[in-house]
Amino acid sequence: MNRGNRIALACVYWAFVLYVFVPLILMILMGFKDSKFIGFPIRSWTLDWYTGVFSDAEVLYTFGYSVVIAVLSTLISVIVGTWIAVLLEGRRFWGRAVTFGLMVLPALVPGIISAIAFRIYARWLGIEPGMGAIVWAHAVHNVPFVSLVVMARLSTLPKSQIEAARDLGADPLIAFLRITLPYLVPAILGASVFCLLLSFDDFVRSFFLGGYEPTLPVLIFAMLRSGMSPEINAIATVALVLTAAIGIWAERFTRRTNKESQI
Amino acid sequence: MTYDASVRKDSDGLSRATGDRPFWGRLAGWGPYRAFAALVTASPRRQFVILATFPILWLLTQHLGPMLQMLRVSLVDAYPVAQDAPQAFTFDNYLRFFGDRIFWMPFFRTLTFAAVFTFCTLIITYPVAYFLARHVSRRNQMLMLLLLLIPFWVGEIVRTYAIMILLGNTGAVNLVLKWFGFIDRPIPFMYTSFSMGIGIVYLTALYMLLPLYSALEKLPKSYNEAAADLGAGAWTRFRRVTLPLTLEGISSGCTLVFLISTGFYATPVLLGGPSTTVFAETIAGFFHVAGDEWPTGAAFAVIMFVAALLITGVFQRLMKALRKGDTA
Amino acid sequence: MSASPLVHIDGISKRFGDAVALEHLSLDIAQGEFVTFLGPSGCGKSTTLRILGGFERPDTGRVILDGEDVTMQPPEKRHVNMVFQDYALFPHMTVRQNISFALELKGMDKTGIARRLDEIMSFLELDAYGDRYPGQLSGGQRQRVALARALAPDPALLLLDEPLGALDAKLRGQVQRELKSIQRQTHKTFFFVTHDQEEALTMSDRIVVMNHGRVEQDGTPEELYFHPASRFVAEFIGETNLLSGKMRGVEGEAVVMEWFGQTLRGHAPSGVPAEGAPITASVRLEKLGFHSSRPDLPNAVQGRVINRTFLGSRMAVDLLVEQTDGAKLRAFVDAETGQAIGDDLVWAAWDSDSMAVLRD
Repeated sequence: MNRGNRIALACVYWAFVLYVFVPLILMILMGFKDSKFIGFPIRSWTLDWYTGVFSDAEVLYTFGYSVVIAVLSTLISVIVGTWIAVLLEGRRFWGRAVTFGLMVLPALVPGIISAIAFRIYARWLGIEPGMGAIVWAHAVHNVPFVSLVVMARLSTLPKSQIEAARDLGADPLIAFLRITLPYLVPAILGASVFCLLLSFDDFVRSFFLGGYEPTLPVLIFAMLRSGMSPEINAIATVALVLTAAIGIWAERFTRRTNKESQI
Repeated sequence: MTYDASVRKDSDGLSRATGDRPFWGRLAGWGPYRAFAALVTASPRRQFVILATFPILWLLTQHLGPMLQMLRVSLVDAYPVAQDAPQAFTFDNYLRFFGDRIFWMPFFRTLTFAAVFTFCTLIITYPVAYFLARHVSRRNQMLMLLLLLIPFWVGEIVRTYAIMILLGNTGAVNLVLKWFGFIDRPIPFMYTSFSMGIGIVYLTALYMLLPLYSALEKLPKSYNEAAADLGAGAWTRFRRVTLPLTLEGISSGCTLVFLISTGFYATPVLLGGPSTTVFAETIAGFFHVAGDEWPTGAAFAVIMFVAALLITGVFQRLMKALRKGDTA
Repeated sequence: MSASPLVHIDGISKRFGDAVALEHLSLDIAQGEFVTFLGPSGCGKSTTLRILGGFERPDTGRVILDGEDVTMQPPEKRHVNMVFQDYALFPHMTVRQNISFALELKGMDKTGIARRLDEIMSFLELDAYGDRYPGQLSGGQRQRVALARALAPDPALLLLDEPLGALDAKLRGQVQRELKSIQRQTHKTFFFVTHDQEEALTMSDRIVVMNHGRVEQDGTPEELYFHPASRFVAEFIGETNLLSGKMRGVEGEAVVMEWFGQTLRGHAPSGVPAEGAPITASVRLEKLGFHSSRPDLPNAVQGRVINRTFLGSRMAVDLLVEQTDGAKLRAFVDAETGQAIGDDLVWAAWDSDSMAVLRD
């Protein structure tokens, strides 16, 4: 009975793995198909689509544009998110629950609503659609993810660490810089990578706040609306490999440093 | 060791050290820094105020601000307006929704779809989470979870596109079905609520899987063993022990997935058809045309957000009542 | 040092919500003393330590350190350092970096820091571990690093918050002796907090027993052990026989009490109770002697041995006392004596100096 259950559950797990991987693998395969026509079966193979993509100035520019947006918005999110986390994990204060609620708000607002709220607010603030607006929207949207990760890490920092630093002559600021911050590094790095990916992958905010220059997801979206082409496969595959590689690296790194810093 | 008076003396004469000092010593002794630190840390109260001011301002202006501004715009007759143009308070934008049935269909469709897709995601991911948490060794758990995380680092658009390739008329599914001789002509999966469902479940599965996994992982195995000891069969054990104790994970996973599902825009556009238009597309429509449709779009967004919050609120209440009833 | 105390605690009180942690505590600590605050958890000993360290501020009262009012000073401004219960070593810093942390912030130059580091590390026999991280050290080594780190800036007062709790029993005895010898060699004032009475008795010059935020008794280990002022102290420190009786009067130096119709003589370290009042007296186990005939001692009762427990170097003997409603006395004797006492009626006797009449 138990054994039967176990096997059935294992089948479900592997079926789920197929479900999440097969579409991506098919897409990758399609990028090597030597035909303008998207679809199976694949009879001959080529690398032309990749060489095409890497020599397409617009695609390369869009790629760089997305990366710059991701980096800038991540910088803001990480600083603000960490600051908020330090406030929320510090001493209890009146209104802490409300502050926490406000902190997670951007992560809970459904995508389209978040996008148009940012669109309206950007207009009100006088930010023109374009890079600045996208960076700002991504930064705000990603703050909760940083705060939550950093708060989780901060809650495991023994109180005595800070007290010891103070006891040995460090004022609160130096104690933060020398003890708290190094302790948070793995969490901050993990959160940074997550923010980079969220920003790089984001469509709906980039779409509504973008100017004339598209980010990579917006470009792919526009290409898809005008019909599928194998070039999209190549672009999407490059984006996929990159994001997955960064994700795996970050996951491993966070795990390792987490283990090391345990006393 | 002798009593070294010179050490104590040093503490009184921070700035009098003659030789090369380490960085933190230089910083701590540097006049401007000391003045700054003295100012900032004068009292716990002031320290807190300085720590709290920026985050509170950020949260109010950046997190709450856009929401409030959206609410305000939904209550005016024209936005954006030319400078000094009059702007009047009105409920018309909301009345427009209630007055025109054409908007109701996508609205209810969105909520229904979101509910159905959330339920599907739950049904699909619960056994996966259960398997990982219950039947896999600690070390493999991490690896097998990581395996599932990889596709989720890939963006919404790329994954939606991958689903298009899977389900297209010349897609992999139709190809396989044809090979096995089940069909002669491809089944038109695409541009239906089915393709949309596959896509949205694909995009949201992780947000369900992780809360479920952490709820199941926290559950001590001994509970199940105790229940088995008392003669409970596998199904009874699951229904009476595991399920009630993971209701919290189910509740948060469902809430998250429901909220996310209502907000998809690109996926329904790419995977859905004319018969599956969702409210996100309706809302977006008001922002694509130039002119003064923004207030209507804002009002519609508010309606949708409020509806989604109401539904998740009622849902969470229900789950809470269910949990309480079980523990009583 | 001048005649004025190093630390002068002047009527400090502290509450956490409704819970009273400290109630009007006043106390002086002299330079070079090894003072132990002893008591069960929640007695206020840790709160006192944290107030001295600057981690808590008292609701009322003042703390004077070396003639200076430090009540409102933050920890970083005080010449007080602490050895934390969990040591609180910085995991991302080596042993040297941990120990030099305070020296750097004091503004010492690099050569001065290096000199001081070498000195303190050789003193605590840590020379070989300078470049290790705390995670690579054993429990005893960590404890020494924590001590070195706290001693490095040459504090006027060293606070130790149950620093031996994490060590295993065998190591603990060795570290106790080490700590005491370090304190003697450095002439530092140690303020030690523990709930372990044995630890307190071994190391301290002076013990302050705390209960419910108040001082129960303040004295040398010997005073506390043999002349406990209250029932709480008698029970908390060591094992004792408690005799409940009635106050009869005073005869010269001795306090006379009645216990099951017998007259016993003791002394009252915490003041003479009113005549006729119900009182409790404490007799330490090793103060009881056994005799085959009635000895010439102020206190002697007759009874039968009902139980013997062999404890290695000594034996615990339980005596059922005649002409009581089943009162028992317990005594430590050496193993041979214990065996020699037969099952016949014997006399158990003790001196009046060995029996302390207690405050409840």
